[in-house]
Amino acid sequence: MIEIRNLAFSYGGRNVLRDVSFVMSPGEVVSVVGANGAGKTTLLRVLATLAVPDSGTVMMDGQNALARPLRYRRQLGYMPERVALYDDMTVKEYLRYRTQLKGEPAKRVRRRVSEAVELCQIGDILRKTIRTLSAGYRKRVALADALLLRPRLLLLDDFLAGIDRDMRAAAGPMLTAAASFSSVIVTGHELDDFARWTTRFLVLRDGVIAASVETAGLAPEVLRERLAAALDGRGP
Amino acid sequence: MSPVRVTASRTLGMARNLFSTAVAVGGFLAAVAALFSFNLSAAEGGDLPLIAVWAISAAPALPVLAAFLAMDTWSEERRSGRLDVLLATAVRERDLVLGKFLGVWFLTVGSAVVSLLSSLSFLWVFAPNALAGVQAISIVPALMGVMLQSALWCAVGVATSTLFSNAAASICTSLALTVALPRGLWAGLMAWSREGRAAFGEMPLDAHALDMATGVFSLGTVALHVVGVVLCLFIASKFVAANRLSGRGARTLRLSTGVAVGLALVAGALFAALAVRLDAVLDLPVLSASVPLSPRTRDILAESSGDISVTCFLPRDDARFRSVSRLVRHLRRVAESVGGARFVVSYVDPRWDIGAAERLVGRGVAEESLVFEKGRRTVSVSLRDGGGERACAAAIRRLATVPRRRNVYWTIGHGECRFDDYGAFGMSDVARDLSQAGYCNRPLDLAVAQQIPGDCALIVIAGAKSAFSRVELGRLDAYLRAGGRLFALMGSADELGIAALLPAWGVRPEAVPIVGVPTLSGSDVIVSDFADHPVSAPLKGSRLVLDRPIAFSPSVAAEAGTGTGADRIEYAAIASVGSRALAVAIERGAGAGADLAIRPTRLVVVGDTSFALNGSLVSRANANRDFFLNCAAYLAGTDVAGASGNETDRLVVGLDRAGRRRHVLWSAIILPGVVFLLLAGEAFRRRRRT
Repeated sequence: MIEIRNLAFSYGGRNVLRDVSFVMSPGEVVSVVGANGAGKTTLLRVLATLAVPDSGTVMMDGQNALARPLRYRRQLGYMPERVALYDDMTVKEYLRYRTQLKGEPAKRVRRRVSEAVELCQIGDILRKTIRTLSAGYRKRVALADALLLRPRLLLLDDFLAGIDRDMRAAAGPMLTAAASFSSVIVTGHELDDFARWTTRFLVLRDGVIAASVETAGLAPEVLRERLAAALDGRGP
Repeated sequence: MSPVRVTASRTLGMARNLFSTAVAVGGFLAAVAALFSFNLSAAEGGDLPLIAVWAISAAPALPVLAAFLAMDTWSEERRSGRLDVLLATAVRERDLVLGKFLGVWFLTVGSAVVSLLSSLSFLWVFAPNALAGVQAISIVPALMGVMLQSALWCAVGVATSTLFSNAAASICTSLALTVALPRGLWAGLMAWSREGRAAFGEMPLDAHALDMATGVFSLGTVALHVVGVVLCLFIASKFVAANRLSGRGARTLRLSTGVAVGLALVAGALFAALAVRLDAVLDLPVLSASVPLSPRTRDILAESSGDISVTCFLPRDDARFRSVSRLVRHLRRVAESVGGARFVVSYVDPRWDIGAAERLVGRGVAEESLVFEKGRRTVSVSLRDGGGERACAAAIRRLATVPRRRNVYWTIGHGECRFDDYGAFGMSDVARDLSQAGYCNRPLDLAVAQQIPGDCALIVIAGAKSAFSRVELGRLDAYLRAGGRLFALMGSADELGIAALLPAWGVRPEAVPIVGVPTLSGSDVIVSDFADHPVSAPLKGSRLVLDRPIAFSPSVAAEAGTGTGADRIEYAAIASVGSRALAVAIERGAGAGADLAIRPTRLVVVGDTSFALNGSLVSRANANRDFFLNCAAYLAGTDVAGASGNETDRLVVGLDRAGRRRHVLWSAIILPGVVFLLLAGEAFRRRRRT
């Protein structure tokens, strides 16, 4: 169980996040949506320990995870909005490097890489240099990187941005598989795509969670209507 | 694998793929090789070890190489956005910084090793004799020095790289901090101070490189470098961590980070200052085989015994402090190795060690001097006159034996070269060497003096251009018959001088010009044939350069071998070219029984005057000075078998103009070009890889 309590973050006199609180169960895929500047990326940066919140805590198994950041980061997989990889390496070299950097013992490196490769379906590009990959495959490699140590919390910022329809279609099974061991938070604007595999939508407006919409049992039209209303500020 | 190792490995791999690495390494190799070649010609004939010449050539290029290699370490991570991925990984910032630093450092040190090996290899190809005195072990301190200095430059480079997303800004800042700032400050100090270099000593960074290359590691220097590296890496890790500290909630953390950096700076400065003040020195014994001490000094040290206390009474920031302390340490080390006296070395800085300085001044010791003490006897060597190995060796010898005859008399009145003439045609240079050996130089006008003074150790006739009168010759003859010592330099056969006196003492000048002999300019003669004589035996293997010398042959008196015992004349051609003797030594009375208190008469006659002129001694790549001093020592009776500073102690590369050009071509152009092409090709190949 991961519990985010009263998270707040301000920058340059502007409150970017205010009193953000929600709870995630294991295996849950939460999509954080909202207009540009609503605070989606900032929320993920705070959760990824790339920014220090003004207040609030992230509780993992009943303990304040932010108080022990190194231990917390070992249970964290983070994929930033801008996918940044080492272009000169092959995919295999990169994933091996990242696994070793994360402190995985040498004997388990190969297994970890294989699992991530299988999960993200990138076995056919392992020997390719990252420089030559398309944006979609780069996203897959970045996702494989985030999944390497089977993190308990997976943070994917603007995951579907800039990739084609086939790749988007493939993203669902990947995240569903990842959810077998992770709680996943995804941000972006692709509501229809998210609706296929997300368990809950959090609508962020001006740094505040304006609505929390469970997808289970809702018809697509109803879900779309509720989200649109929440995004427009017409009600939860 | 630890994160540090993984990051270091990635940094190395990333550098391998960059064209900038090829440019930096190739440029470094070329620059060091060019500097090495330039410094070699400047050091030719000096006593600087070959490895030290390479070290002072590499030292100025290291910060540039480090700045180039370190510029991408963090700036590229920031620019590409990979920094966020790294910071979200469960790795400490300090591990990432340390890993990147190690990667850059390995590459820098690797480049330096390639540079060293290539420089020595090409020298071995083009001038094999230059490597004669180089031992593999003597490379170690030079490499340690280079590693220490490059560690500092790499740490600065990595730290500045954390500040910028732009590699160009990173490299500019790094170069400003490591090159422009220290050297600019130094140039400013030189311009500001009227005394300049004499007041502040050598440029510290270059001096440190030289010190370490010769095996002298001062605690202060090492501490400064280590503290600098640790500080830079600490600051770098804080700068990296500061990327998390945006937003209001991180205000306290930002403040505490600033305080931590400030405290680290203060603590580092205090620690370094303490280390500099204590100035303990680690003297690596790896250079013992190539310590530039002459055989003569070694003999003197071998004959010394007991405890000799040496006090260096000199400010630590004096320009001469390093070279003097280096010499004293060498003396102590060699004395230990040859079983001589035990040296106890202490340093008294007149500005800091006030109590000890007062005691020294109270005993009449002048500031800027080296004080040698044994028992109740004290000999002080003034560093204002240059000090040096010869003066120290003389002081050590004087502690053991005190010559009764302390004056060297130089004849005047016949156009002789004067010992107090400081011009190019004077002999003040060798006269100073004599005075440092414990003698007083005095003029002697034989026309006026009724007799030769009794305190005369020897008489020098330095190229008399007019003949001595019969009265003067008579006085000289009487002096010689009483066991006198005469050192005659004869510029040419036209310079009559004492030519009339010599045949009676076994030697006859020849008027026949010398032709068909080794020469450099046509007028000079290179003498390398030395006899087994106390004067010349130690000079074997070195060269004496004489200018239009005249030759000598044994006179009838010598050939007849007149008399026995006290009257027997022993004629020895001590320096020759072919069958022509250009310098001879005469001894009469050496065969007298040991029970007879007869002092043997000694003459040394050299067929050239100019070899000992101040102007001729400027070039040190010959044995002229040592030949003169050996002659004087032999005549004065204080001859110690050995010469001071013969060619085995000097750096003699022996590269001619064409050889130097070939050396530069291969080491500064072709090899760096090949290395550049290899690295650039590897980068290109990896970029083309799909």
